Amino acid sequence: MTLIMVVDDDQDLAEMLGIVLNSAGFEVDLVNSGDQVISLFTAHEPELVLLDVMLPGMSGLEVCKEIRKVSMVPIVMLSAKNESHEVVLGLEAGADDYMVKPFNPSELVARIKVRLRRSGSDTPTSLKIGEIVIDQVAHTIIRHGKTIQLTRLEFDLLVALAKEPGRVFSRDALLSEVWGYQQAADTRLVNVHVQRLRAKIEEDVENPTVIVTVRGVGYKAGTGSE
Amino acid sequence: MKNFGGVWRSSILFRVVAATVLLSVLLITIVGSVLYVQISKGILREKVNESISESRSLSDYAQGQLDATLYLPSLKIDQVVRKILNASDLTLATTPREVALIGSPLSHRVNHAFNGASGGVDIRSIPQSLRELVVNKGETQWVRSSILYRDGSRVPAIIIGRSIVIPPSSPYELYYIFLLKEQGTIIDFIGRLLLLSALLLVLLIGAISWYVIRQALYPIRDAAEIAEQLTAGDLGRRMRVVGQDEMTRLAISFNEMAVSMQQQISRLENLSRLQQRFVSDVSHELRTPLTTIRMASEVIGDSKEKMDPATARSVELLQSQITRFEALLTDLLEVSRFDARASILEVKETDITTLVRYCIDQARVSESEQFHFNVPQNPVMATVDPRRIERIMRNLIANAIDHGEGKKIEITIKEGQSEVAVSVRDYGVGFTSRESLHLFDRFWRADPSRSRLRGGTGLGLSISLDDANLHQGLLKAWGAPGRGANFVLTVPKAPGIPIGSEPIRVDPPNEPSTIPMISDEDEG
Repeated sequence: MTLIMVVDDDQDLAEMLGIVLNSAGFEVDLVNSGDQVISLFTAHEPELVLLDVMLPGMSGLEVCKEIRKVSMVPIVMLSAKNESHEVVLGLEAGADDYMVKPFNPSELVARIKVRLRRSGSDTPTSLKIGEIVIDQVAHTIIRHGKTIQLTRLEFDLLVALAKEPGRVFSRDALLSEVWGYQQAADTRLVNVHVQRLRAKIEEDVENPTVIVTVRGVGYKAGTGSE
Repeated sequence: MKNFGGVWRSSILFRVVAATVLLSVLLITIVGSVLYVQISKGILREKVNESISESRSLSDYAQGQLDATLYLPSLKIDQVVRKILNASDLTLATTPREVALIGSPLSHRVNHAFNGASGGVDIRSIPQSLRELVVNKGETQWVRSSILYRDGSRVPAIIIGRSIVIPPSSPYELYYIFLLKEQGTIIDFIGRLLLLSALLLVLLIGAISWYVIRQALYPIRDAAEIAEQLTAGDLGRRMRVVGQDEMTRLAISFNEMAVSMQQQISRLENLSRLQQRFVSDVSHELRTPLTTIRMASEVIGDSKEKMDPATARSVELLQSQITRFEALLTDLLEVSRFDARASILEVKETDITTLVRYCIDQARVSESEQFHFNVPQNPVMATVDPRRIERIMRNLIANAIDHGEGKKIEITIKEGQSEVAVSVRDYGVGFTSRESLHLFDRFWRADPSRSRLRGGTGLGLSISLDDANLHQGLLKAWGAPGRGANFVLTVPKAPGIPIGSEPIRVDPPNEPSTIPMISDEDEG
C-alpha cells in the first residue's frame, strides 16, 4: 500500500484526512508537529507528504525545505489562504502543488493520485532537450554525464516540454498536462516550478536555453544553445 | 464684468487694493480739484485787476477824446471812434485785447451809427447780463465769459464795460475784451500736471497697498495651500514657523491641528485595518474546521443508501449548507480583501461572448429558463480579469433566474469605441426605487420573507460592484415592481482606458424611466 504522511496540527482534520485517504486505499501516517516530521520521514519513507503550511513549532515552509534536502518525494501543501504570499513561498520551498481549505475530499484524492502517477514509458525511452538527456525508464536526467536530481513533478514538467519540442505550452496547458487541473488554476504553480527547474538544469539561470519563455504565451523547449 | 465679480469675491488682496485705490482716487480728486480751482482763480484775479485798471485808463482817455470834439472842431467824432475801436492795434498791449462799442439800447436817442468792434468780434456775444449792469449802474463792470468772432471761433476772455457818451449826448457802452489765451494755457498746463501727478499717486498707492497686503496675506495663502495638500492626503505637510508675530501663532496652531488630525486618521486607519484583519483571520480560522466538517459529511454521504429517508435527507441538507457556508466564507474573504484594498486585477485578453455563454451554461439548472441572446457574431475581445467578470456575470444571471419567475431573460452584449457592455434583463418581480437604494448593500435582501432559491450569500451584488469598480467600469441597475430588472455592466476594453460612452442604457427604452437608476461609484 502507498504510504502518505499527513502533517497537520489540527488533530481532527488530520484524523479526518486519515479516514478519507484510508478509504481511498492509502496507508496514512499522521504527524501533528513539524519537529517530528524529519525523523518519521526517514524512518517510514512515505511516497507523498500532505503538509499544512501553518504549523506550530517548525513551520510548514521549513519542514518542506528539510524534506527536500533528503528526498524528491511529492509534497502537496494545505493552506487556508490562497491569496497570500505563503503559497508562493511554499512552492518555492519545494511543494509541488497546493490545496486551499476547505477542499473537496474527492478532489484531494484525485490530486494525490496525479502526483503519485508514474509517467508512462510507452513513448521513446530516451528524450533530449538541449544538452540534457532524459531517461524515462530509469527516471533520471543527465547533463554532461552527470545525473541531476529532480522531483517527480519537475521531471514530468521537463518531459512534457521535451516530448513536443516545437510546441509552445501555455501555462494553462501545462497545468492540465502536468498537474492534472481540468479547470483554470493558479498559474503561479507553473512560474515557480519553471524557476526551480531552471535553477537545477540551466547553465545560466538568467539566460535560460533549455526552457525558454515565450512572452505573453508560455514556455517551450529550447535548443540548448544561444 | 462677471470675471471681475469672481475675482472680487475670491481675493482679499484684490478687494483691499481695489478699495484703497478707489478711496485714494476720490480723495485725490477732491484735493486736486480744490487746488486747481484756487490756482486758476488766483491767476485770473490778477489778470482781472490788471485789466480793470488798464480799461479804466483807456476808457477815460476815450471819453476825454470824445468830449474834446465839442471844443476842437478839427476833431471829427467818427475819427475818434475809429481810433477807439483800433485801440487794440495802436496801443502796445501786454495782452491781446479787443474793443467793442454798442449803442445803449435803453436810450431812444441813439442811432447806433457808431456800433462796432475791433478784430472781427461779434458784438452780440457781449453777455446781456453785463450790458444791463453797465447801463443800470454806469460804472465799470466786468465779467468772465467767452467772446465769439464772426468767423465762428470762441475765445475765453474778461469783458470790462462802462457807459460812455458820444457828443452831443448819445449814450453808448464801451467794452474792453481781454483775451485769456495765455492764462488758459497756463491753467491747462497746471491742470494736466495735477492730473498726471494724481494718476501717478494712485498707481503708487495701489502698488504699495498690493505689496503690503500681499506680505500680510502670504502666511494665509501658505496655510490655504498646505490645507489643500492635507486634504489631498499628504498628511505630513506643515506650515513654516518663523518669527513671533500673529502669523506665527497661526502657523503653530495650524500645525497642531494637522498633527492631531494625522493622529486621528492613523488611529482610525489602524482600527479599520485591525477590523479587516479580524474578518480575514476569522474567515481563515473557520476554514480548517469547515474542511473537517465537509470531509466528514462526504464520508457520511457515501453511505446514504443504508440510511432511512429522514437521515439521508438530513445529510443532503447538511452538505448543501456546508457548500453555502463555504461560499459565504469565500465572499467574506473577498469583501475583506476589497476593504483592505488588497485586490488586484489580473487581466487577460478575453472573449466576453464566450465567457457569458459559459456562465449561462453553468447557471442553467433546468430547461425552463429561457435565455434570449442579443450578441454580436464576432468575438468581443477585452482585456479584463476573467475571474472577476465571470463572477459578476454568474451573479447577475443567478439573480435574474432567482427573481425572473421563469419568464424570459435577455442577455445583450454591445461593443463601444473603448468599452464593452453586457446587460441582463429579466421580466420578473423587479424592485422598487426604495429597494434600489440598498441593492448593492452587503447582506441586504429585497424581501426577507422571500425564499432563497439558490441560497445566495447576500454579498454577490456588493462584490460585483467592487469587481466592476476595480476595472474602472460601471455596474448599473434599473427595476420596476412587476416589470423586471435590468443590470448593465460596462467595462473598458483595456485597463486604464476611461469609459467614453455607455453602449447599453440601463433604463430599457420601452419602459418609463421613473425609477431612479443607481450606480454607486463612490463606494469601494
